[in-house]
Amino acid sequence: MALGQLRRQKKRPPVPKLQITAMMDMFTIIMIFLLVSFSSKPERMTLEDGMELPQSNAKMDYSKDVRLILSTTTLTLEGEVLSELQDARIAGMDPDDLRSSELYRKLLAYREEADATPQDPGAPEEGQPHLLFFCDKRLPFETINSVIKTAGMAGYPNLQFAVLEK
Amino acid sequence: MSRLGARRHVKEEQETDLDMVPIMNMFLVLIPFLLMSASFLHLKAINTSVPVQAERHTQAEASEPKVEVTLVIEIRTQGFHISALSDALDGRELAKLGTDIPIGEEGAYGFAQMADHLETVKNRYPASNTMLVIPEPAILYDTIIQTMDAARYSDNQDLLFPNVVLSGKVG
Repeated sequence: MALGQLRRQKKRPPVPKLQITAMMDMFTIIMIFLLVSFSSKPERMTLEDGMELPQSNAKMDYSKDVRLILSTTTLTLEGEVLSELQDARIAGMDPDDLRSSELYRKLLAYREEADATPQDPGAPEEGQPHLLFFCDKRLPFETINSVIKTAGMAGYPNLQFAVLEK
Repeated sequence: MSRLGARRHVKEEQETDLDMVPIMNMFLVLIPFLLMSASFLHLKAINTSVPVQAERHTQAEASEPKVEVTLVIEIRTQGFHISALSDALDGRELAKLGTDIPIGEEGAYGFAQMADHLETVKNRYPASNTMLVIPEPAILYDTIIQTMDAARYSDNQDLLFPNVVLSGKVG
């Protein structure tokens, strides 16, 4: 009888409580970091793997215009691969005859489409359109010159060089 | 006495645990959302133009007496060659504004020296804000961007030559 009473009174081991204080600390720090780096302009940009943009102290924001990407392997216009690069030379682009290149034709088409699109009467005049140019920092000027000259001839003399903020 | 003793009882303080489960729920929802919209790379832009439409050049329209000087910076493999163009100055004055800045012993360009020279020209002719950059074919894009950076702001963060025209060498 006494033994049965003793068994009933036997204390059960306490249920261990999960210590989530440390996890809370970690989540709080991660939250603060992510809130600070939260982007109010969530835009997705697909750049080639391994592409390195130059760093700059420029402070101007880029505008959402036609995007031209020149990496060490491809030339891409608005997501469409136009040609490939070999030894820093763009295939299909003759420096002496830039108007025969695919890039010139495509840019001209974009320019004509932009000119044909009626602007909103209430919207401010935008002036000359810009070309947002992403270029790998390791490319020589000889390669870039063909591209920017072609852009100028196709009606895009104003370029915005995309850079990483220092 | 016994009443006093009875009143004198120690109130046991009950331990209350803060329920953090709702806060954890909120974090588990917010953190993936913020991760997806976080930007770890901040993109900026440098406005440049290519010399195609010459009629847009403002010098033809300027009737102000202020002297504007367009600096020409040739980026060569041996260093910088700086010269100046202006309708208001003669050849001798323009020659004084030019200089050569060779690369250093370790192959580094003298960006600081170039910036100092540009600041001198800007202080003399404050209306000037345009420069023409002419790199040699082998010059890397990164060097061109660094040249533009050095020419954009002075040490005091004053604007130097923010308008850049990029061109290849003609002839």
